[in-house]
Amino acid sequence: MFTGLARTVILYFLIIAGIRLMGKRQVGELEPSELVLSLIIADLAAVPMQDYGIPLISGIVPILTLLCLTMVVSVLTVKNARIRSILCGRPSVVIANGKLDQREMARNRLTVDELMEELRCQGYGDLSAVHYAVLETNGRLSILPYAAQQPPTAQDLRLSVEEPGLPLLLISDGHLLAQNLKLRGYDRNWLDKRLAEHGLHHDSEVFLMTVDQLGKVVVIQKEAPA
Amino acid sequence: MKRFWTAVLILLFLLSASLWNGWYVARFAQQAARQLEQAQEMAKQDRWEQADELTKTVFQQWNAKKFYFHAVMRHQETDEILRTFHQVLQYIALNEMDQYAAANTDLAIQLQLLGEMESAALENVL
Repeated sequence: MFTGLARTVILYFLIIAGIRLMGKRQVGELEPSELVLSLIIADLAAVPMQDYGIPLISGIVPILTLLCLTMVVSVLTVKNARIRSILCGRPSVVIANGKLDQREMARNRLTVDELMEELRCQGYGDLSAVHYAVLETNGRLSILPYAAQQPPTAQDLRLSVEEPGLPLLLISDGHLLAQNLKLRGYDRNWLDKRLAEHGLHHDSEVFLMTVDQLGKVVVIQKEAPA
Repeated sequence: MKRFWTAVLILLFLLSASLWNGWYVARFAQQAARQLEQAQEMAKQDRWEQADELTKTVFQQWNAKKFYFHAVMRHQETDEILRTFHQVLQYIALNEMDQYAAANTDLAIQLQLLGEMESAALENVL
C-alpha cells in the first residue's frame, strides 16, 4: 500500500517533468498535470479490473492519490506564480514585433511548418500581418495581428450597437422550457403570437426557438419525418 | 481552498493508512514467524501435539485477518501462504520431521516477506 502510494507520487511528478521537457507542442490542449492524470488514470483503473489477483485497493489508492495530487497542484498553480511556471511552463513569444524568434522556436521544438500551419488555421496566410505570436502553455498558438490588419470593430466605426445579450432556449425539439420563458419575462400568449407569426400553432412543431434580451426571436421549424 | 485542504487531508489519510498497514502486517508476520519457529522447536523435541496446537493457533490468527490481507495484498501471495499452512499442518499430522521443517521454514519466510513487502521502505519503492 505504501509502495503504491510512494510510487504514484514519484511517477506523477516524473511524468510531469518529462512532459514539460518534451515542450509545449506535445501537450495539446491540456496543462501538463491534466495530461499526466488522463494518461495514467485509465491504465491504473484497468489493472485491477482485468487482473482479479490484484486487490481493488491497489488500484484505488494510486487513483485517489493522483486525483488529490492534481487538486493540490491545480490550487498551488492558481495561488503561486512560481509553482505555475515550474509545473505548467511560461508562454513563449515566437514572433515579436513581426520578427521570428528562431531561438525560442527551437527551444519549444516548433518547426516552421507547424508555425505556418497554425497561422493558416487562424486565417493568416503569411507572417507580414502578424505582430505577435505566443505559444501558450497548453500548446496553442495565440496570434495578435498588427492594428492595421485587425478587422474594424463597431467602436472603431463609431457605430452604436445594442447588446443582444445571451439568447435563451425557449423550445427544444418540441418541448417548451417554461423556466426560460418566465426568466425572459414573457408568457404563453406572447409565445403563441410569435409561433403564429411563423405559421406555427403548437410547440411540438418547433425544433428550436430562442429569444435574446432585445426580444429577437429565432425559430426553426421541425422537419417532417422521413 | 476547501478542495485543496480536502485533497491534502485525503493524501495524509492515505499516507497514515499505508504506514499503519505496513506496521500492522510486519508485526503480525514477525509474531507468526516466531511462533512457527517455536512450533518447529517443539517438533524437534518430539512434542508433535504441542507443535500442532501452536501452528493451528497461528493459522487461526491468519484466518481471522484473512479478509484484510486479501483486501490489501496480492491474492497470489495470500493464497500461497494459505496453501503452505495446510501443507505444514499435514506434515505435523504425519509426524514427517524433514518435510515439516522445510515447509514450516518456507511458511515463516513467506510471512516475513509479506511483512517486508508492505513495510514503508525505500527498497520497496525503488
